[in-house]
Amino acid sequence: MSRFPRSSTSTHGAVTRWLSAAWLRTALLPIAGLLLVLPLPIASAQRVCLPLPRLLSTMPMGGQAGTEVEIKITTEYVTEPVGLHFSHPGITSAPKLDDSGNPIPNEYIVAIPADCPPGIYEARIMSQLGISSSRVFSVDQLPEVTQTSPNTSLETALELPVGSICNSQMTDRSIDHYRFTAREGQRCLIHCASRSIDSKLDPVLILADELGRDLVVERRGGVIDYTVPADGTYVIKVHELTFKGGAGYFYRLSLRELEADQPHPLFASTRDVSSFSWPPTGLAETAESTEVEPNHSAELAQTIQLPCDLAGSFATAADVDTYQFQATKGDVWWIEVASARLGRPTNPSLIVQQVVQDGDKETTTEVLQLTDIPSPVKPSSNGYAYDGPPYDGGTPDLLGKLEVPADGLYRLQLTDLFGGTRTDPANVYRLVIRKAEPDFALVAWGLHMELRNGDRNALTKPIALRGGGTVALEVIAFRRDGFAGPIELTLDGLPDGVTASGLRIGPGSNRGIVLVTAHQDAPQGLTFAQFRGHAEIDGQPVTRDCPAAAPAWPITDSWGEVPRTRLEAEVPVSVGGFEVAPITIAPADPAVLEVVGNETLTIPLKHVIRGEFSGSILQLRTFGHGFEANPRFDVSLTADASEAVLDLSKLKPTPGDHVIAFYGSAVVKHRYADGEAPQDTAEIVVTEPITIRVQPTESK
Amino acid sequence: MTPRDIGRRSLSRSHSRSHRTLVRLAPAVLGWLLLGSIGTTLHGQAVADPVTVADSADAERVDSAPIHFVNDVVPILTKAGCNMGVCHAKAGNGQNGFQLSLLGFEPLEDYESLVKQARGRRLFPAVPEQSLLLLKATNRMSHVGGARLDPDSESYQVLVRWIEQGAPWGDPAAAELVSLEVRPDRGTVLPGGEQPIAAIAHYSDGSQRDVTDLALFESNDKAMAEVDESGLVTVADIPGKVAVMVRYQGKISVFNASVPLGVTVTETPPIRNFIDVGVFDNLREIGVPPSELCDDETFLRRVSLDIAGRLPTAQEANEFLASDAPDKRDQVIDRLLRSPEYADFFANKWTALLKNRRDDASDITSNFAFHAWVRDSLLANVPYDQWVRELLAATGTILTNPPVAWYKRVKQPIEQLEDVAQLFLGVRMQCAQCHHHPFERWSQDDYYGMAAFFSQIGRKPTATRGEDMIFHNRGTAQATNIKTGQPIRPAAMGETLPEIAADQDPRLKLADWMSDPENPFFAKALVNRYWKHFFRRGLIEPEDDIRDSNPPTNPELLRALEEHFVSSGYDLKSLIREITRSSAYQLSAIPNEYNLADTQNYSRYYPRRLQAEMMLDAIDDLAGSQTDFPNLPRGTRAIALPDNSYNRASPFLRVFGRPENSSVCECERTQTSSLAQSLHLMNAADVKAKLAQAGGRADRLAQADAPLEDRIDELYLAAFARRPTAEEQTIAIEYLTEPPLDADGNPIATAEPIKPNAEAFQDLIWALINAKEFLFNH
Repeated sequence: MSRFPRSSTSTHGAVTRWLSAAWLRTALLPIAGLLLVLPLPIASAQRVCLPLPRLLSTMPMGGQAGTEVEIKITTEYVTEPVGLHFSHPGITSAPKLDDSGNPIPNEYIVAIPADCPPGIYEARIMSQLGISSSRVFSVDQLPEVTQTSPNTSLETALELPVGSICNSQMTDRSIDHYRFTAREGQRCLIHCASRSIDSKLDPVLILADELGRDLVVERRGGVIDYTVPADGTYVIKVHELTFKGGAGYFYRLSLRELEADQPHPLFASTRDVSSFSWPPTGLAETAESTEVEPNHSAELAQTIQLPCDLAGSFATAADVDTYQFQATKGDVWWIEVASARLGRPTNPSLIVQQVVQDGDKETTTEVLQLTDIPSPVKPSSNGYAYDGPPYDGGTPDLLGKLEVPADGLYRLQLTDLFGGTRTDPANVYRLVIRKAEPDFALVAWGLHMELRNGDRNALTKPIALRGGGTVALEVIAFRRDGFAGPIELTLDGLPDGVTASGLRIGPGSNRGIVLVTAHQDAPQGLTFAQFRGHAEIDGQPVTRDCPAAAPAWPITDSWGEVPRTRLEAEVPVSVGGFEVAPITIAPADPAVLEVVGNETLTIPLKHVIRGEFSGSILQLRTFGHGFEANPRFDVSLTADASEAVLDLSKLKPTPGDHVIAFYGSAVVKHRYADGEAPQDTAEIVVTEPITIRVQPTESK
Repeated sequence: MTPRDIGRRSLSRSHSRSHRTLVRLAPAVLGWLLLGSIGTTLHGQAVADPVTVADSADAERVDSAPIHFVNDVVPILTKAGCNMGVCHAKAGNGQNGFQLSLLGFEPLEDYESLVKQARGRRLFPAVPEQSLLLLKATNRMSHVGGARLDPDSESYQVLVRWIEQGAPWGDPAAAELVSLEVRPDRGTVLPGGEQPIAAIAHYSDGSQRDVTDLALFESNDKAMAEVDESGLVTVADIPGKVAVMVRYQGKISVFNASVPLGVTVTETPPIRNFIDVGVFDNLREIGVPPSELCDDETFLRRVSLDIAGRLPTAQEANEFLASDAPDKRDQVIDRLLRSPEYADFFANKWTALLKNRRDDASDITSNFAFHAWVRDSLLANVPYDQWVRELLAATGTILTNPPVAWYKRVKQPIEQLEDVAQLFLGVRMQCAQCHHHPFERWSQDDYYGMAAFFSQIGRKPTATRGEDMIFHNRGTAQATNIKTGQPIRPAAMGETLPEIAADQDPRLKLADWMSDPENPFFAKALVNRYWKHFFRRGLIEPEDDIRDSNPPTNPELLRALEEHFVSSGYDLKSLIREITRSSAYQLSAIPNEYNLADTQNYSRYYPRRLQAEMMLDAIDDLAGSQTDFPNLPRGTRAIALPDNSYNRASPFLRVFGRPENSSVCECERTQTSSLAQSLHLMNAADVKAKLAQAGGRADRLAQADAPLEDRIDELYLAAFARRPTAEEQTIAIEYLTEPPLDADGNPIATAEPIKPNAEAFQDLIWALINAKEFLFNH
């Protein structure tokens, strides 16, 4: 079996939000059925996961508000694209047409409204296989230029006027050169956006004189803030730290003029996955109070009142910020510090000491020490094999509980473990001390199989469904201030023919699964879903959004390149409408299965097999809180039915309704493009959800 | 000479001296008898401060005097070489199960070993002479170490008496050794002359003892002076300062000799700064006239190579030679110090010492980041103390704080302390990990006191294998002395610091201590290292072995350099500026009739071969070619290479000794010359390819319309920063315009003048490259 296109008789349903434009309709020509069994001509390397569409780059990577920008894109597994989508509703696109009025492949004209706020947005492209992964698209107010020819020498330096942005792609083993003129006393701010906009480039910024002799160098991702000493021409040099270049090594170089006392603008950035737990719900955008220096010793401790919400900074090398407060015996205070989650390269550490004054003598007793917030689930070590999800939900920030042992004075000392030699007021933090406000935060990503080949390529998993397929999303919960209750997961606003089933995050657990299933005949469609978690906290229903996360880039060699994961702006759910899944395993009877808590439950399963698999057995494990301990079991990859058996006397699930599913991985032959040899492809197989109603044992 | 040989000589000669008039009695006992001083001469020369010695009338009392193991027995074993590292102090199990502590630093263990171990079979009190110890030591019983003791010697008799007395430990209240004195401690010795020195031990009860026969002597420059086991110093004909280290029971003292040439120095080049004062005062003292100042051509080439690691261009040379500016040398120095090449060149030096080594492909990011941090710091002239502080106390990730990369290479506290001590303090602490330092005052407690500064380094793994985030792990800083098992608090080279709170990163305290203006090591180590960079030889050699027993050749100058460096705010460029502006630096390398033998007083510039990277760049510059290094932009110079990985693909860099960045010692760089280097320059394909590179200098000169003389001028300016002499010009023209030969080797007559082709210019360039004037900085 090669590629699994649906038959030519399949219908193409409406693509939500997409089919109104005429050019989209032309792009959505019916695809002839290609469901053929082809011989495997040449053994090829095993691929990990069936192809999923990816938007790799756009050039330029952004534009000025109120302008139209011509962009070129590069993609992977995108055929028959039906249009670009941007996470800002005002940004629209249309294919660029040639002189004959035909769309030029991979070229678009993007219109950015004048009122679009500066910042970063995301672009995706819809195609035969569904919606692609996203790529950052920046909007600024400065005029922009795009590098069109090599500027890798002083002689070929590109003119960059002060007050403009250049979109560029780095050439391998090269240094890009820019030239600008400035007048004496002019304050210039040079910034290179790269990692913050999904680029792989670790930038080195060099300001040089007219002859290219280095004056100032910035290698840590910061800015060069330079007040020009004399009228003249200056040169900016940019290169990758290790002089890498090519696709993926793009950047936006901005050269701004600032007033003498003007603070640096905030440069928008994607957010690291670990920042999903910040901020706490309802936290004001601006802190109620601020740190007052000097407060670097017990004698200079800044007095605060609890509760407290304070903004401070690890401004100086080996900075120690000391606060003191009165507290009452028996009180419980939750202390949370954010700094790394604000995007700073810090590692806060905190201690609280009880201070007892006896005349002139002061005695301190340590009552609390806080260090890193661990990941809610163990992340992969990023070794050759996965041993957990490659997303780290933990953070160097702090969260902990202070149980006040006695009435009196307490001193809190906050330091940055990474700040011993660094002076940078930009290393800010937010210190929140509050009474318990139980809550939770969620983040989700496409479930990945455990593999030993180090392949991170398949981690970029847009929800691009094949008909008859079920994908699993792994959901991680960060629990705040002692909240331990169950969390129900929902995914609403789905395309036609798509259903979702949330597998509860059990009490005290930090992990849940959401299954998204496309009916075999689901038409091509795209929606932007609402992914949420629901819980009852203090008797009140609470709903929280669940952002999705993904690696910024597919990476095939994790030894040479570390995946960088980030939060995404939206949760698009799509059906490609072109391919079907190689196998569907579903309960034979979709009805709720009722069982008594200590009995054995046999679940008949039906198989619809569309692909050609290597091997005849699929080993399945079990999803569902309280059911994960179910032993692995085998089902046939050649039969059209099988059974799953659950021994509830061993699993001991709680009475009530449970949604479970089974999953495993199999190797299927898949051909992506016509003329290609079918390729062995390891793919996750997830059954459709099964609902079980567990009756209490004594009820029978 | 092997240690065994040394021991044999020691015992055969120490008691056969007949020419010595000093009354030297039984070393173990007689020295204790303070019967007054006598005027003393050695080799017919008066010893400045007469040694207190015993009267022979007391000799009979000696036999019955109790022997003390520590004060009397151990020194004999040490002098005989029994407890050397290659003998019974060999790590593990000594020799054949008989283990002694190195140089007797652990006398309790030695006593156990001698008296109690092996069921006491090593001693035989009934017949002491039949003790295994003495049978072996005299080689009367087969002994791999050969004869270490003469049965007729006093040392032998002392051991016999000790065994006779029941091998006692000795009086627990016996006086302890507190210091060692050498007499005289300094003096002037004429070339070819001799100077006996005596070692006097001072004890806690105020007594003193002549221990010359039991002390160990070692010259710090064997080419200048040798010393025999009896303390007789014999000076060669090299003028300068030489020191003889005297060791006894863990105590050290030094005899400093000044060896004058004795010529009256009437004139010196102009005094430009304190460096000239220091150098020329010393030359006057030892009577070595300095060479003249070098010419402009030599200066430009020298200073360009020494500061920026590159040759001056032909244009730079032309402009410099044409300039009439009285301060044009100073201007060049300032221009070079501002240039990125200065930062590249010195970053190359420092990253090698800081072990920026690529062991795995994934090291590339950290290595590039670290190299760039070093280079940028030098370019920005970050004060040295601040730079070292950023390195020592680095925290965070490599990308956000590149000096963290050092902790990827140097992972254990003992490596960290050893590297820091050697690199930034000029002290080699390694020995003190397992035992008291044999040549220095450093104890194991001192060693682990330094290790304690690095005991609270926390590590968190990153996604990049082998890389950790570094942070200060809150807690009490301490390290365990592996010998005693005792926890040791941070102490900086033995100096206890105020208590370091659990919240404080002890490394910052170490950095504070280092950058204290009064620190006796920090500034000294740096100025000495940089002095060596510019003068080929450190004021202390090796540059990272600063110790009491290895004094500087010019202490006044070293002190002045330290003071300048500290008062400048640890300004590296200022230091270099002072050094290169001095007349001392600008002396000619050509010796006058007196100073050829001088190798340590800087009476002339000491030429040295170009380093591997400099030479590769120099050849590229002259040939107009480029070397292509992987992962780096085309045109990257060899001195700007970020790590050692480029050595693998470059036979040139390997042959000319580019280090692999595995050692904190500059000695890892090979600067010696070899046949392989000569062959490489003459025949290697990569060198030939550079000469013939399309668009290279040979190509360009062959196609140029300029007069041939001008083209030859350009070559010489590019190679040597000078124009050719008339003779060189003539030879070059003759060669370049040689008519082609026919099949019989006869010149073919041509109507037109011969126009030299690229091949001819390649030959000329090749000849220049192979000239010593090109290969050396002079």
